Amino acid sequence: MLNLGTPKKVLLTALLSASTLALGCQQPVQSDQARGEVLYANCVSCHMAEGWGDQKIGAPAIAGLPEWYIEAQLLKFRSAQRGSHFDDIGGMKMRPMSLALLHERDVGIISAHVAKMPPLRKGATLQGDAKKGQGLFATCVACHGPTGLGNEALRAPPLAGQDDWYVVGQLQHFKAGIRGTNPADVSGATMRPMAMVLADEQAMRDVAAHIQTLSK
Amino acid sequence: MYERFFTAASTYARDIDYLILLILVCVGFGFIVAEIVFFGFIFKFRAQDGVKTQYVTGEEKSQKKWVSMPHYLVLVLDVLIVIGALKVWSDIKIEMPEPDAKIRVIGQQWAWSFVHEGADGKLDTADDIRTVEELHVEVNKTYHFLLEARDVLHSFSVPAFRLKQDAVPGRVITGWFKATETGTFDIQCAEICGVGHGIMAARIIIDSPEDYAAWVKKGGPTAFWAASNVKAPGAAKAAIDAPTPTLTANNAAPLPQ
Repeated sequence: MLNLGTPKKVLLTALLSASTLALGCQQPVQSDQARGEVLYANCVSCHMAEGWGDQKIGAPAIAGLPEWYIEAQLLKFRSAQRGSHFDDIGGMKMRPMSLALLHERDVGIISAHVAKMPPLRKGATLQGDAKKGQGLFATCVACHGPTGLGNEALRAPPLAGQDDWYVVGQLQHFKAGIRGTNPADVSGATMRPMAMVLADEQAMRDVAAHIQTLSK
Repeated sequence: MYERFFTAASTYARDIDYLILLILVCVGFGFIVAEIVFFGFIFKFRAQDGVKTQYVTGEEKSQKKWVSMPHYLVLVLDVLIVIGALKVWSDIKIEMPEPDAKIRVIGQQWAWSFVHEGADGKLDTADDIRTVEELHVEVNKTYHFLLEARDVLHSFSVPAFRLKQDAVPGRVITGWFKATETGTFDIQCAEICGVGHGIMAARIIIDSPEDYAAWVKKGGPTAFWAASNVKAPGAAKAAIDAPTPTLTANNAAPLPQ
């Protein structure tokens, strides 16, 4: 018969094995910074490693955006306030990625991580009249501020430093009702009538050209 | 018992199940016979004192039959499988029953969107109901689906229907299904399509005729994937917890002229 030793020895061996297994299964405690880096790996394929975005696939620059804004947008994507409109091709790409954040805490962690990334000014990609845009920008000043730095209290994000192609694209989405028409999207609903003030795409390009002149 | 473990919600789901069962039985039968013969020979011709190892050329009739007979058995089993597979293929892929309704299914990285016929019963008209992540169909009605891909290859998979069809950019692929029971079932992408492939999901909601008529009359979808299952921390919680119906062409405000 197999000799396993005294019952005490067997019990001790079993306890040691169990505790070793338990230690092996335990997840290492990560700092928020380290966790942020791990979570950001999911974003790299579109927003790039530096968070500077990729115009070719319609991924905007996100590096350096305020933490509160990134968190609010991620929550909107997660709750289908953004990215659930039939014509929101880019938004529909982003929504499942936001749902890939499994824990509530991760939304805050990834937002803080992205907010700390240094932004990059890439210059104009569209032709617009910045002078005309300055006049049209008067409507935006109330929320986004004269220098386009945004206002957290009004849930208005900074515009200065944002890519012109993304600004124009989102203005078109607001105007067409692709963004800002969900009843729960309160800040989006505020923005939609503002976008309607702009008569056509050229007016949007002009505003974007003016935003390009604002320094962050 | 088999039915208890595998939900089947389309007319052809069981045909595919039985085909897979046929393959399992044929292959399983061949496997068991081969293993019995294999281990039988190992036991029968195991090392014995005073018996020398033989070199078997396989040229004698009594030896050759152990090669040729399994071949015939495999051929017979293959023919059985091919007959079953061709019948199922013909019933599902070749013979396409006349549709009661049509739907357009569009795959993109990484979401499914759908266009339903509106109250006029015609697709691609002004009253179409357009949804994201939520497909509504009526039970016991034959649907033709027009499958498209906006960017890369996807595969429209409804496991409860045993339906899986690739979506190819630039092509409109037509298929069909007829739901046999009401309920909500998964839709998934079954073709690797990028980093978000694993979470490219949607739901098919099979309604009774009354419920479906009410849904069409309402002209829009309910919030399937709404805020209720996402608890938001911080200041945005109140806004997130509010109901968030999916937008459609019908409830988006008109553009100013």
